[in-house]
Amino acid sequence: MNRFNFPAIKPNPALEELRSEVQAFLLAEKEAGYFHSEPECWMSSSDPEFSRKMGARGWIGMNWKGYGGHNRSALERYIVTEETLRFGAPVGAHWIADRQHAPMLIEHGTEAQKADILPRIAAGECYFAIGLSEPGAGSDLAAVKTKAEKLPDGTWKLNGQKIWSSGAQHAHYMVSLVRTSPPDGRNRHVGLSQVLIDMSAHGVSVRPISDLAGDAHFNEVTYDDVILPADALLGEEGGGWQQVTSELAMERSGPERFLSSYVTLEQAVIELQGKMSSSARARLGLIYANLRTLRGMSFGIAKLLEQGVSPETEAALVKDLGNSLENKVTQNVRAMIGELPINELSDTMKRIINIGVLRSPPNSLRGGTTEVMRGIIARQLGLR
Amino acid sequence: MIDTQSLIAQSAAKIHERNGGRAVLHGDVAPDSYWDAIIENGLHLAWASEDAGGFGAPLSEVAGAIWNMTPAALPFVETLIANKLLELGGLELAKGRASYAIGAADGVHIIPFADAAEDVVLFGDGHIAHYKSHDLECRAIDSLSPDADGAADFSKANPIKCAHTNISLSNVEAIILTLRSVQMAAAMDGALSLSIDHVSAREQFGRPLSKFQAIQHQLAVAASQVAAANMAASQACAALSNDMKSAWHEAAIAKVQIGESIEGATSAFQQVHGAIGYTMEYDLHHYSRRLWAWRDALGNEHIWAQKLGDDLAQKDSNKLWRGVTTGVW
Repeated sequence: MNRFNFPAIKPNPALEELRSEVQAFLLAEKEAGYFHSEPECWMSSSDPEFSRKMGARGWIGMNWKGYGGHNRSALERYIVTEETLRFGAPVGAHWIADRQHAPMLIEHGTEAQKADILPRIAAGECYFAIGLSEPGAGSDLAAVKTKAEKLPDGTWKLNGQKIWSSGAQHAHYMVSLVRTSPPDGRNRHVGLSQVLIDMSAHGVSVRPISDLAGDAHFNEVTYDDVILPADALLGEEGGGWQQVTSELAMERSGPERFLSSYVTLEQAVIELQGKMSSSARARLGLIYANLRTLRGMSFGIAKLLEQGVSPETEAALVKDLGNSLENKVTQNVRAMIGELPINELSDTMKRIINIGVLRSPPNSLRGGTTEVMRGIIARQLGLR
Repeated sequence: MIDTQSLIAQSAAKIHERNGGRAVLHGDVAPDSYWDAIIENGLHLAWASEDAGGFGAPLSEVAGAIWNMTPAALPFVETLIANKLLELGGLELAKGRASYAIGAADGVHIIPFADAAEDVVLFGDGHIAHYKSHDLECRAIDSLSPDADGAADFSKANPIKCAHTNISLSNVEAIILTLRSVQMAAAMDGALSLSIDHVSAREQFGRPLSKFQAIQHQLAVAASQVAAANMAASQACAALSNDMKSAWHEAAIAKVQIGESIEGATSAFQQVHGAIGYTMEYDLHHYSRRLWAWRDALGNEHIWAQKLGDDLAQKDSNKLWRGVTTGVW
């Protein structure tokens, strides 16, 4: 057995203390009117002021030592992130930098980059965007064409285009997967590298794209003869594919993969207090069981990541199950609140369930599609 | 946690292999040598405390033993549960195959895997009673599983021993649901292995079924249900090891999660096997039929989802979140 590696984590009172602290802060912020709870807050609700407050409390940059980091455990960071999702707090500005780019810089950045950038990330002042997809490279990520050419003086000349880069319009940096040398015959994983791009560099342009809900959080980013310093190369030249694989394990396994729609469920439970039919209660019980189980899986992965294990398959499992659950939560909340006449629902309930419905489609797309996740799982099963 | 590498679990695995491994499934009951080896190694007493005459092994290790023997046709889980109930009643443990029932001493109650049990432990309101099977007039009832349930009228028999107990119905439910959850997760995992083997060997259109993306994705989805079941069972075991009094929540969650996961997983397993999976000649039915029976035992997942929902709907919404993050509310 142990086909998959999901450690079960024992209860820890110290974590619950931290949770209370975070809850008290979030509740105070919400009651003071500094934010409204929203589904998918980590992607669509950005507020630099709020990010700075989180930074000041030591709740960004929890997992690294020095360079402004707070040297706390992965499980402590998990408690903080899950609480912000539960409250639907505006964490979108710093989320991606804190989740995957800070760990990437810790591992692959130069001393100067670490000293310059990491303290600003931890302070909630420096934001990152992801540069993976391109117009011609979606699920087939190895088809990326953006090219970084090494110039005689060691600097790089970057040309190409990235797309669906969330938050790029507010980001200070972007890390992109680019081709630095041609593929080795049919092996396209060779010759790919990751580069750090200062978004203020000459030749970088960002065009926001409106999503189906009318929000412009993702972007098309064009690089036109952008000159990058020699140290813009992150990690090994040609090692980009392997680096992206471990980056994606962080990106796919977190609580945002199944708690994005939680605020709609909690609001429904509040509004339906004493009015739920037996079928609504059965829906609530089922979703609760699903959430609790997936939370166990995701929490276990946080522990693995801390131990330096890169659980690619487990992360894919959490993401695939989580994507389905996100939409299942939204659909069950629709069914539950549908039992009440619409004029008995609060404006908040109506607003957030609509957001939940409108923001359902990308759950199973971003961070790797359902089809890609299932391919990864099938490989682990020995089927491909 | 489910520790399949512990000494107890390894000893269970050895017994399972020595008695035929997967082939032990053939035939309605496992060979006597299998059960004799369980007795010899004391596995049936492993979970009961030392004071009660058991070995006091941690549940994680006992769960590993259950995992490694599933789904052999033996009342191992039933015996572990029966002995735990006897221990909680301060009664002497059963020496052989045993099972259990829940209800008042004057009623008719279901006994899981009744045919195989020599002893039956009845948990009722405030008491635990030990019966010999031959004193009970047990009739077979229609069952999805080859390990058929029976029903007996307890008013017509006298227990050999009886004791008062303070443990509640929800404590007993936590024990039963948790051990069953391990068994279900294990059988799902076993059926997944069988399915992987089958699609890798079976060729159609000139290549193994495993090379078709439609097959790969069906099994990937089923595997995610297997992984979820495993986590739900692990969390239930962790809760029960930690404190029996608060273990009901995680046990009920496991019941609901695994009950739901079984449908997704077994329908995929049956589908990728084609018609051969729908026969008595091939092993899959040993897993599928037991899974379909176990998910119904003590009430199906729908009823348990409603029990959870009933409780949650009355509480303030902070309880829901506490439940998601800590497993209790």
